[in-house]
Amino acid sequence: MKNRREFIQAGFALGAAFSLADLGGLFAAETSATDDASPIPAPGAGKSVLVAVRDGDRVAMLDRALASLGGIGVFVKRGQTVLIKPNIGWDAPPERGANTHPDLVAHLVKLCLGAGAKSVSIFDKTCDQWQRTYANSGIEKAAKEAGAIVINGNDPNAYREVAIPGGLELKTARVHSLVLDSDVFFNVPVLKHHSGALMTACMKNLMGVVWDRGFYHRNDLHQTIADFLTLRQPTLNILDAYHPMVRNGPRGTSVEDLVEMRSLLASKDIVAIDAAAAKMLGHQPADVRHVKLAAGMKLGTINLENVDIRRFKLA
Amino acid sequence: MRRSRLKLLRVAAALVVFVGLTSAFADFRNLVPTAVGHWLAGIQFVPSLVALATGAAFSLAGVMIVAATLAVGRVYCSMVCPLGILQDVIARFSSWAHRREKKFVPFARPMTWLRQGFLWGTVAGVATGWSGLTLALLDPYSNFGRMIVGLFRPLLTLANNSVVGLANAAGLSSIYRVEAHWAGVGALIIPALMFALIAALAVWRGRLYCNTVCPVGTLLGWFAQRAAFRLEIDRGACHKCVACLNVCKSQCINLRTGTIDFSRCVACFNCIGACEHGGINYRLAWRRTAGRAAPATVGRTLPDPQRRAFLTGTATALAVSLGAGLRLSAQDPTAPEPARSGQNDGGTDPDDHTKAICPPGASSIDRFLDRCTACQLCLSACPTQVLKPALLEYGLAGLLKPRLEYSAAFCNFECRRCGEVCPDGAISLLELADKQLTQIGEAHFDRKKCIVVVKGTDCAACSEHCPTKAVHTIPYGDNLRLPEVTRDLCIGCGACEYACPVQPEKAIVVAGHRRHGRARKPVETKAAAPTPAGDFPF
Repeated sequence: MKNRREFIQAGFALGAAFSLADLGGLFAAETSATDDASPIPAPGAGKSVLVAVRDGDRVAMLDRALASLGGIGVFVKRGQTVLIKPNIGWDAPPERGANTHPDLVAHLVKLCLGAGAKSVSIFDKTCDQWQRTYANSGIEKAAKEAGAIVINGNDPNAYREVAIPGGLELKTARVHSLVLDSDVFFNVPVLKHHSGALMTACMKNLMGVVWDRGFYHRNDLHQTIADFLTLRQPTLNILDAYHPMVRNGPRGTSVEDLVEMRSLLASKDIVAIDAAAAKMLGHQPADVRHVKLAAGMKLGTINLENVDIRRFKLA
Repeated sequence: MRRSRLKLLRVAAALVVFVGLTSAFADFRNLVPTAVGHWLAGIQFVPSLVALATGAAFSLAGVMIVAATLAVGRVYCSMVCPLGILQDVIARFSSWAHRREKKFVPFARPMTWLRQGFLWGTVAGVATGWSGLTLALLDPYSNFGRMIVGLFRPLLTLANNSVVGLANAAGLSSIYRVEAHWAGVGALIIPALMFALIAALAVWRGRLYCNTVCPVGTLLGWFAQRAAFRLEIDRGACHKCVACLNVCKSQCINLRTGTIDFSRCVACFNCIGACEHGGINYRLAWRRTAGRAAPATVGRTLPDPQRRAFLTGTATALAVSLGAGLRLSAQDPTAPEPARSGQNDGGTDPDDHTKAICPPGASSIDRFLDRCTACQLCLSACPTQVLKPALLEYGLAGLLKPRLEYSAAFCNFECRRCGEVCPDGAISLLELADKQLTQIGEAHFDRKKCIVVVKGTDCAACSEHCPTKAVHTIPYGDNLRLPEVTRDLCIGCGACEYACPVQPEKAIVVAGHRRHGRARKPVETKAAAPTPAGDFPF
């Protein structure tokens, strides 16, 4: 007897088989080396790779980015548990750009399950009331339909106290057990202005996996954000920059706060991707202090000159 | 025992109301549609009268209850009133627990002075401008609501939480942990004592509470005494077997005289089915009484003279309607007054500031306290649980009524559930756009306490959470951002106060408005692109 997940996996595999040609680079990359599919250097070893895609819909841009990185199979092996951490902070609909877009999350869920993931879990510790935020962001429905398990991020029992020996300010934290236990960890934020941190992208999004955010705010916000990376870095960072919120962030007041850029960034190097994100919002990377601090702690590359940037325009 | 169709009808109706209202009040996951609670609360006697008297809604439920009582007796008390039904449930549980059929004490004399005292006390309270307190303390529906919200809801939440681990292990993510919200001891004492009283009286003497304390019971009893159709004993059929006495919750059947005190009968119809001889039935009473000169000569042994009862009742009806109407509608002209546009200094008047903040739609604290009966349906419906029962924050008149408490939650910008459920218009249902501009208070920022100033590091948790950007940041020091408040954009939702991480005293707090104001609607122009379009800026 098949359960729902198996059914969806099978369905996806079947669909993928029929549409192999259309998927272009993604599946081609798995079978044969294309011009842009090269081995991914680990952070610190050789050049970091940053894929930047423009002018497509979110699904197409994600497919292109993953193809360039060698396909989803590079990141997700059969039988692995996957955590996707979007930004689900605010009780606002997708068009307001306050949360990661549900289309992007759902597509990634399907890719993971298609690659044989044992389970795909999703949560965020929301800022607004969580049930409303999960619902109105559109992520709960889209992710569930794609086959993910959507977890309440506001359950204190799900968080475990861990030591963060590499941290300067953040030395211990109660971290969601999915972050600590999942085999694969995708960090999938949305790019936004932030009234306190200047910008919220990949590094800042990881505040949503920690129980006590007040501690960050009281004890040097930027340093604690950087400190967390010494505990665990995401397997891959995927940044939704389709229509970044360029002011009134991170909550925003209306769609007028958004500027359409139709972009998506992906990188294993969280500092490099945030450095590029800062430039998209018109800042120098070092202006965003947590990016500068993380670079100083050798957690990634802030100087984009030293990053292998692969640029794609889909239109 | 014969089956009485009337009793079946009564039990069915009572079940619908009881289950519906209990789930609405106990709903810790916002699963019950707001319409269920709003509607079942709206057909309750006191909320309906308050809504009608204040013009909040053309609610005829109260009038219809009086009409129904005049027709067939106190059917409200056994079919619609949740506190009454709760007593039946408790009595039933107690008889189950004792594994025997419940036997109530036989006929007892009414406690007329107590009954009249509570009714007149309520009338006096309403007439002297204390409607907010007296109705809140004595309305049976509101008492029921507070018991469920204060006592049962948190227990149910804890029960839910105890099975979360098991459910999740079984792969059910639809069951999840919910924080149990206990009100403070002070706010729990009244519902707890009331529950103890109700339960004890229900086990001991059925509906003694309804026929002694409850002013609604006494008022409706006065009408029931004059009902067109009344339950009467067919003295020819009666074998004086006392089967009816054993099942009577109100001890209102007097077999010695062969009469039923219909002012105390809650129309439960137990006696009809209990009588093997069909000796108790509805009879049209008006034709007979109309034919006689004085109702007192009907031959009942009524405990108090008819004349006094008549005067009492008439005066009561007048006082309740007039008192409620006058007192409550006196506040009305101020109620719909939404805007203080352009004079945003209004909020800075220190006299207008209050620690107790009432929900958007309440208009002003005075109006709110007059109308709210503290049923706490909104407390249960509030998804963020920012609504807490007040103790003395509003003063005595605000006892147990909802206030916004920002230490652990804030008012969700997109939500207006409190207005959706409120049965009597104490919290008007505002259009969402209106609610988002309704200024229930305003934020006060103390930069001397702010982390950005004190520690010289970024924070801005307050402005991060602000839905209107009344709290925003300005450049400060070396690449820092310092919060700043634009008062006329602030609606007082408390997101900033909730989010402020400063301990022990927050650097930004909301002061409530005694009269709600109106915030300025921010002008929205399209944001400028930070980088040239068309290519990557790196």
